[in-house]
Amino acid sequence: MGTFIVVLILAAIVAAIVYSIVKARKRGEHPACGGDCDHCGGGCH
Amino acid sequence: MGIRIALAGNPNCGKTTLFNALTGSNQFVGNWPGVTVEYKEGKYKGDKEVKIVDLPGIYSLSPYTLEEVVSRNYLIDEKPEAIINVIDGTNLERNLYLTTQIVELGIPVVIAINMMDVVEKNGDKINTKKLSEEIGVPVIEISALKNRGLKDIVDAAVKAAKEALPQSPKHRFDGSVEHALAHIEELCLHNVEDENVQRWYSIKLFERDEKIQEKLGLSEETVNHIEKDIASCEKELDDDAESIITGERYNYIGTIIDGCVKKAKKGLTTSDKIDRIVTNRFLALPIFAVVMFLVYFVSVTTVGSWATDWANDGVFGDGWHLFAIGSADYNDAVDKYNEADLIIVGYDLYCEGNGEGPTGDFKYPVEDEETAAVEYRTATHEDYVEAMEYINSHEVPEPEDYGVWIPGIPVFVESGLDAIKCNDAVKGLILDGIVAGVGAVLGFVPQILVLFIFLAFLEACGYMARVAFIMDRIFRKFGLSGKSFIPMLIGTGCGIPGIMASRTIENDRDRKMTIMTTTFIPCGAKLPFIAMVAGAIFGGAAWVAPSAYFLGIFAIITSGIMLKKTKIFAGDPAPFVMELPAYHWPTLSNVLRSMWERGWSFIKKAGTIILLSTIVVWFTTFFGFTPDGFRMLEEEEIGMSILASIGKGLSWIFIPLGFGDWEATVASITGLVAKENIVGTLAIIYGAAGDVYETMRAAFTDASGFAFLAFNLLCAPCFAAMGAIKREMNNTKWFWRAIGYQCGFAWVIGLIIYQVGKLFTGEGFTVGTVFGIAAIACLLYGLFRKDKYAN
Repeated sequence: MGTFIVVLILAAIVAAIVYSIVKARKRGEHPACGGDCDHCGGGCH
Repeated sequence: MGIRIALAGNPNCGKTTLFNALTGSNQFVGNWPGVTVEYKEGKYKGDKEVKIVDLPGIYSLSPYTLEEVVSRNYLIDEKPEAIINVIDGTNLERNLYLTTQIVELGIPVVIAINMMDVVEKNGDKINTKKLSEEIGVPVIEISALKNRGLKDIVDAAVKAAKEALPQSPKHRFDGSVEHALAHIEELCLHNVEDENVQRWYSIKLFERDEKIQEKLGLSEETVNHIEKDIASCEKELDDDAESIITGERYNYIGTIIDGCVKKAKKGLTTSDKIDRIVTNRFLALPIFAVVMFLVYFVSVTTVGSWATDWANDGVFGDGWHLFAIGSADYNDAVDKYNEADLIIVGYDLYCEGNGEGPTGDFKYPVEDEETAAVEYRTATHEDYVEAMEYINSHEVPEPEDYGVWIPGIPVFVESGLDAIKCNDAVKGLILDGIVAGVGAVLGFVPQILVLFIFLAFLEACGYMARVAFIMDRIFRKFGLSGKSFIPMLIGTGCGIPGIMASRTIENDRDRKMTIMTTTFIPCGAKLPFIAMVAGAIFGGAAWVAPSAYFLGIFAIITSGIMLKKTKIFAGDPAPFVMELPAYHWPTLSNVLRSMWERGWSFIKKAGTIILLSTIVVWFTTFFGFTPDGFRMLEEEEIGMSILASIGKGLSWIFIPLGFGDWEATVASITGLVAKENIVGTLAIIYGAAGDVYETMRAAFTDASGFAFLAFNLLCAPCFAAMGAIKREMNNTKWFWRAIGYQCGFAWVIGLIIYQVGKLFTGEGFTVGTVFGIAAIACLLYGLFRKDKYAN
């Protein structure tokens, strides 16, 4: 049971990460730097 | 409807600082031109109906640079309700050149004289009332950095926007120019919808601005007609049209300055005095080398290292004593216990070797934790007796007995997983995969933050602008432009914006070359890897981290020289005009904000991309095909893993570089996802064999370790940066050229370091050494061969 819960939590974390990356990409943000690619002034870092 | 106020001004006059202060944004502020190459919008903190637009810094409204095109298009096409023309008060004459053009656009303008705190400190006086009368627009004194006059300037701009009175410039050109302008207006501008901007258009047409001709859709006949007016004026004034306009503007500015500005000092300012040393022909480079050495030394070896040791050994290790209370006593107790234990081991070894106990002195081995070097110490029989008594009378020291002991995350997680009786495979994934991998990366956060503090300070105080100037002098000798160094400065944080900053380079060949070489400079993501190699393979040697930075500079310069001698990159370097800002102490909040922005993106990446990667790396490390089928592997079986199979298939590439084992190979490959992954991958793979640093130290020699470092610093960057290269090159062939060159160059440098390095580390002369020397010869040929394309 404990293993099942841990796997479930892990799966949720992975899904959340993938979702956030995809969502960020759709917003035009870069997954690596988090910068707004569409309006990137090259100065986000 | 809201009000849009555009911030326009010269590069480095403080527009973005003002934008951040007005909107509460955290846009990056750089002390060199080209930081803002796209406009940015934000809402004014004091009134959400007011939108502030930060435009790229420009010197004129001519379409010569990308920044000028972006700014001018916004002002002409988007027509903001008002413009705040930000002016550097310490350099009024040059800044007013743009002002004379902005007031011709017909949009309400308010002038913000920035850096008034510096002006006052210098003892200079600006008569703003008179200046306002001369130019015909409100003039407000501000200091964006000190939050002075900010409300006043926005209030004035909002008032101007609400009144919407068309701006009419007070300045008039020479009679013959005005005559030509009137002709042009009459001929082709009467149809322009906004009559307030007609004068600006006519001046631009007088200057033969092709983009404006195109925008207005002028027929060839009209252009020829205008040309006659211009030619006649040029003949009369004996100069070309653009020079006539420029000259007249500066004459006008000269009269304004004479009447409105009183300079206090004629001698050298403090900044000038510092610059006489810092930018001195002979001292500049050594000073830069010392500064960067200190930055990397302190970040990686001293302050950063202490903090990282705590993060690695404490937070992501066994644990730590709260406020370090009890740490010293515990370490003393451990040392004493270990020393006694080692004496007993030495005694037993003697007995095993000689069949009887020593009658006198005997040796016992002590291994150095940092270097793994084994030293033999001498003990007497009395020492052995004392050691036995000590071991028998003492328990193994436990950290909990010496203070408040806080267990590290792995310990905490493991006890939690044990408590719920979690399956071994899942436990392994969490502890040996995610916690070990992500923890190894996050453990370097303190070092990264310390490095970013230094870089932010150097940028904000004005030193990095001098570095661009110094590098321009050197780059120019090799046919490169100092403009190429700006993306590299930005690239020390992250390669992606560095690559994108290359847009400001107008010369296409120079721009492509800059894109190809920018990622040679170690970005923040490479720092954990540098620190890991320095700590594990070189025992924390101080020279390793700075050498990574200088290796990057070396790679850029040598690549520049070699590529410039090829047909596709040949040509004169583009001119580089850059203003050196006065030195000043940056505010603590600015430095910390800059550090946190860069650091936070690193942490965020560890929690997303790196975490996902560690799961994949763990799975492919601990699962594989064995003689009895596909199954989970024991730690000693990971040589049969999926990752090992992939690594073994590709490791031949790295055999000449000295790290042709599958572990180093797969670390280099996973580094392409994100450079921090090299650390995460090595932590998982070498962690399976015991202590990560010890296993790593055993796997590399000094020569192969440095070759491994050099290859991964110089080879293709992460996929995200490769994507940026692809976008900026906008050409698949050029993209593969860039990646191919980076990987090829990195391989050759790695080959030279390993094969020639072996000569100096006592590994002897081999056939590989011949290839290493041949590679040096090829490199030297590329550097010194005659440039047949040079003018």
